[in-house]
Amino acid sequence: MSTVMRLENITLEYPVPRRYRKDNIKPSGIRNVSFELEQGEVLGIIGRNGSGKSTLLKMMAGVFPPNSGTISSKGAVSLLAGVGVGFNKELTGRENAYLYGALMGRSRKQIDELIDEIQSFAELTHHFDRPFRTFSSGMRARLGISVATAFKPDLLLIDEVLGVGDVSFREKSQNRVKDLIKTSGSVIIVSHSLAMLKDMCTRMILIEDGEILIDGEPDAVITKYREVLKN
Amino acid sequence: MVLKTGVDNSDLTPLWSKRSFYHYPFVMVSDILGSRHLLSLLVKRDIATRYRRAYLGFSWAILEPLLLAGVYSVVFTILVGSSDPLYAAKVIIGVIGWSLFSRSVTSSAKSLTNSVNLFQFARVPKSVFATNGPITNIILALFSLLSLIPFFIIHDLPITINLLIVPFWLFFLSFTGWSIGLLVAPISCKIPDVMNIVNFLVRAGFFLSPVMWTYDMFSRRFGGGWQSIVAHLNPAIVPLTEMRDAVLGTSSGMPSWAYGMCIGMAVIFYLFGSIVFMRSAHKAVVNI
Repeated sequence: MSTVMRLENITLEYPVPRRYRKDNIKPSGIRNVSFELEQGEVLGIIGRNGSGKSTLLKMMAGVFPPNSGTISSKGAVSLLAGVGVGFNKELTGRENAYLYGALMGRSRKQIDELIDEIQSFAELTHHFDRPFRTFSSGMRARLGISVATAFKPDLLLIDEVLGVGDVSFREKSQNRVKDLIKTSGSVIIVSHSLAMLKDMCTRMILIEDGEILIDGEPDAVITKYREVLKN
Repeated sequence: MVLKTGVDNSDLTPLWSKRSFYHYPFVMVSDILGSRHLLSLLVKRDIATRYRRAYLGFSWAILEPLLLAGVYSVVFTILVGSSDPLYAAKVIIGVIGWSLFSRSVTSSAKSLTNSVNLFQFARVPKSVFATNGPITNIILALFSLLSLIPFFIIHDLPITINLLIVPFWLFFLSFTGWSIGLLVAPISCKIPDVMNIVNFLVRAGFFLSPVMWTYDMFSRRFGGGWQSIVAHLNPAIVPLTEMRDAVLGTSSGMPSWAYGMCIGMAVIFYLFGSIVFMRSAHKAVVNI
């Protein structure tokens, strides 16, 4: 197996607002995190709200730069989070699909090849060529998920995006993401759904106050997480 | 710190690379060229949405300078008593040029704060988002020049090769505004008051630039003294005057050092702007 991502002592601290500085509050963020992800691994990241899971994922996606440390990766990395951010109300569904695809780093040719599949999966029919502002919130979410999951990356990073749309679409999108997980080289998932993580992950990490508390088998990590929640 | 946008399948490569500051002006150009597809989509989006819901559509790009020139001409004629029959045409050129400059400053200065939601989720070169606004504004400014056609017909203005310099000066105005915006964008993420100062300077700059007045009026009043040097610190003076001369077939007799000063300032703004933007934009977005 080869390493697809390596994190070496990465740190990112958010500045403490001026009014709280005199209270010596510890800045939130990520501190001295190091691990490697191997080809084919499905890694789950859990932790309390505000523990730094999403920040860590964004750093691995190259969205946030670390203050110190190095993040190295191999192949195309795709972050599935904030689905629908970047859509423009005045553009049509089709125009937004092209724009969103480009924001994900895809070329026009790659989007051309998948545009019919994106339209079909989003179940938007004739609405696809109508302005986005006329879409219901469910339609907007469906378009977002459809574009975001259309491309197969080498390393897929997922941040709690499986619960959008109506019941049938939610099931459909969950199956799509599961397929994506199977076909992607490696996957990192941030979620609060322990059952889903236990079902999908080959390895898990527990984050607490921006630091790795435990890195290992899903059962052991979930047990530790439950202990942390009790304290 | 520079975001590496290429995908290398051969080995592990760092997501971020550190560069010397003197590389940043070149890295910025390379980033923008490397994201041409995204940039073209963003420009198309901006153009398509600017007047999409207006009944008169793109006609507003022509009507806006015409109406403004009409108002300014009436006000200025009443106040100063100008009898220049081409005064309205001069104002239109001033309005188009100044609007392009000021919109380029504000759109690139606000690029980080306006797209912060996107930057929290997508790995995109932020320089592209600072650039699409100025490019959109250049295209709309070129379209707005059509509002000068009636003056060519009514005043029988000559159509000469000099007109080809007009797009160059429009590009130059937008480039200078964009460069100033690059300098301001990361700072305004940390200190939002900076944007208020920029808005004030842009409004004040309208009156300090040859929009309602002309270079001839200024020269007649102040000559070539220290006031002239101070006035040329305004990066819009040379382009606006040159555009007027090219369209109206006149010569304002601008000193040669004024061109050097104008181009020199644009280059300095770009060098500082690109270095500050490329060094600070990624971290500025994290801290918003």
